[in-house]
Amino acid sequence: MKTTRKIPLYYWRRLSQLACLALFFFLFIRTDYSGSDSIEYAVNILFRIDPLLALSASLAAGFFILLMLPAVGTLLLTLILGRFFCGWICPMGTLLDGCRNVTPNPRTGKERTYRPLKFYLLGFLLVGACFGLPMAGYVDPFSILVRGLALAVDPALHALSATFFTYTYQEAPAWVNAVTEPVYAFLKASVLPFNQKYHDLTLLSLGILLLIFFLERLERRFFCRNICPLGALFAVTARFSLLRGKTGSTCGKCRNCREVCRMGAIDEDRAISMLDCNLCLDCIHHCPGNKISFRFGGQSRTKPTFALSRRTFVGSLAVGALLPFFLKSRTLARQSDELLIRPPGALPEEEFVGRCVRCGECMKVCIGNGLQPAFLQAGLEGMFSPILKARTGYCEYNCTLCGQVCPSGAIAKLSAPEKKKVKIGNAVFDKNRCLPYANGIPCIVCEEHCPTPDKAIKFREATVENSRGEKVTVKQPYLIDDLCVGCGICETKCPLPGVSAVMVTSAGESRNPAKALPDTGSARQVI
Amino acid sequence: MDRREFLRQVALWSAGLSVGVPHFTIGEALAADAHPPLLAHATGKNYRDLVDRVLSPLGGMEKFVRPGDKVVVKPNIGWDRNPAQAANTHPQVVRVLVERALDAGAGEVLVFDRTCNEERRCYVNSGIQEALAGIKDKRLKFFHPDERKYVPVDIARGKAVRRLEIYRDALEADSYINVPVAKHHGLSRLTLGLKNSMGVMGGTRGAMHHNLGQKLADLATVVRPKLTVIDATRILLANGPQGGNLDDVRVLDTVVASVDPVAADAYATTLFGLRPEEIESTVAAHAMGLGEMDLKKIRVIKA
Repeated sequence: MKTTRKIPLYYWRRLSQLACLALFFFLFIRTDYSGSDSIEYAVNILFRIDPLLALSASLAAGFFILLMLPAVGTLLLTLILGRFFCGWICPMGTLLDGCRNVTPNPRTGKERTYRPLKFYLLGFLLVGACFGLPMAGYVDPFSILVRGLALAVDPALHALSATFFTYTYQEAPAWVNAVTEPVYAFLKASVLPFNQKYHDLTLLSLGILLLIFFLERLERRFFCRNICPLGALFAVTARFSLLRGKTGSTCGKCRNCREVCRMGAIDEDRAISMLDCNLCLDCIHHCPGNKISFRFGGQSRTKPTFALSRRTFVGSLAVGALLPFFLKSRTLARQSDELLIRPPGALPEEEFVGRCVRCGECMKVCIGNGLQPAFLQAGLEGMFSPILKARTGYCEYNCTLCGQVCPSGAIAKLSAPEKKKVKIGNAVFDKNRCLPYANGIPCIVCEEHCPTPDKAIKFREATVENSRGEKVTVKQPYLIDDLCVGCGICETKCPLPGVSAVMVTSAGESRNPAKALPDTGSARQVI
Repeated sequence: MDRREFLRQVALWSAGLSVGVPHFTIGEALAADAHPPLLAHATGKNYRDLVDRVLSPLGGMEKFVRPGDKVVVKPNIGWDRNPAQAANTHPQVVRVLVERALDAGAGEVLVFDRTCNEERRCYVNSGIQEALAGIKDKRLKFFHPDERKYVPVDIARGKAVRRLEIYRDALEADSYINVPVAKHHGLSRLTLGLKNSMGVMGGTRGAMHHNLGQKLADLATVVRPKLTVIDATRILLANGPQGGNLDDVRVLDTVVASVDPVAADAYATTLFGLRPEEIESTVAAHAMGLGEMDLKKIRVIKA
């Protein structure tokens, strides 16, 4: 029956999936400092070919973001090939397919119809982006994936290997180390991150990622079928695609194609809905009659296998349009969090949050481990956007990587001299805690680390009484506002346990003139 | 305790077989050898030459490195600054020392520093990574310190610290060569050889700043270079220890070297127009008998 064909078509699809996944991991690992001030490869290309993020960020910005132009190409290809992206390229889809043997099998039973959900979500997200509620990055598959990997999996991998190889190093005999040490060196040079990073929202990011895998229990590719708003955008486009699947309408009782379809794209009459089909081509292989084929043109537009509720759809648009006005009445809208310190080159806050796609790349690439995902500091709509948390890490003075990897230009790409002129915040001393002030103990580690060529942290000698009642002369630090760039290294390196005696706040950040610091005249006049 | 016993202790401790923390006790003989201390000083535009010139009156590298030795060359690579900014040891000075150690038949030559800025940026921007990449010899190991290899060490003679974490290779080296850059420092006024030893310390180094001078002297009781080569090819006069402004840099084209770490620091202080007594760590180390700070008692050879 089955003639020996050269290579089944789905092999090509698998090959493409594997190649794209490998490329994705390669780019992810390379999203790091590599010995050069400019980054050669970064995973940001994935976000720049993502039309959902391009559309949402552009709607929020009010103009088309040229950086995301490649996304138009993806959409045009979808117009020809349908949802090929979901089946052949998407690394999230590949991982879901790949984990099929690991994730629990879908419970058989009657098919659920959550399918309209993603369209409501798409409508809500795009309208929301227009009106100032940018949330596409919350649910975009790449954002979820890269965020989960960067904030949780990658650092955990480092912790795991460090723990294991520290154990072998300290406890195992020499012959074991003769094997394990080279392995560790190899892993470090290839896949492991350079050093241990620490992040906020680690478990949340991981949880969201795992949830997508867990949902496979309900249906194969549950996320892709029902939730993925990027998939929804592709579906809307694929409805008009030139490539169409054809089946035999009179092919008997066999339902192989329906059973094997990972997207549930084939209906009872064995018509293939191009809104759902991701061109995995498994059905061709499994059709005993060889009746399924994909061809350009022909057949009229397929009807969706489901119906959207107009009421719900309009409702989701309305929520997207109205919710932003509630945000404008929060205290946050009047007085932003003073610890909301954005990376250097970040656009003014509203524009920034609008364009930030929450991909986590800036946090992955931040060599000072200073950038952390915001929780509620920037409001619910700002979750996962980057902020500098200077007690954990700082902004490296000569580094400009975050602006280089940002796929949407939310963080502008700055040259090193430009970046050094940007003030992201201002340090402030707590004299009740700072040792030379409070205890008469010499310290000024902050001054030592202050990176500006003319140090923003200077010191005066003062004679104070220490806790033993002795008169001691110590160097007491103080800040020159005009010189401080807000990098936060002083806060990171402050040797006090717990709360630092010097803290960076967003006061004076150059992207917001409303936060300008009082003019002290010339910086040089301070005694 | 001698070196052999110390190494045994480190090995046992690392293997989890000993609860006792390894520590050094310095024999008085160690501190008093070669009196008055020799110090070589050379000036010139050719930095490769300079190093050879300061080494020769001290007996050449063969005096400090025997065939098969494990050698540590410890430059200052603390900051993400380029060579002209005078925050790190000059790459050519480091390179020549490494080459001479290899020529002398070293079993391996280790070069590393625990940096203050991001590790990789410091190694690259300092120019040292590129300079050492030119040496094609498998015995040279230029690496980032491994977190696992800091060993807690009791500072038996310490007056301000009782215990510090110190990099294992620095303790185990047959020959430890300290190669600081001479520069300004806000708290200690200058950072020279003794301060450079903080680059082999683990843990939170910020606490060293509370009574820095004495703590550096305490550290010097366990981190004991066989040779100190101070790079003053260009020195940083203000905004140290990392600088960044070329106006703060003065080119001196000078390298000094001595077997006596305190003498080396004391003499280098004069390059800044300061007196050795103005540097607390020098005074404290001298008081502990770790070396000579009286310039009149140091035999300076212009090489």
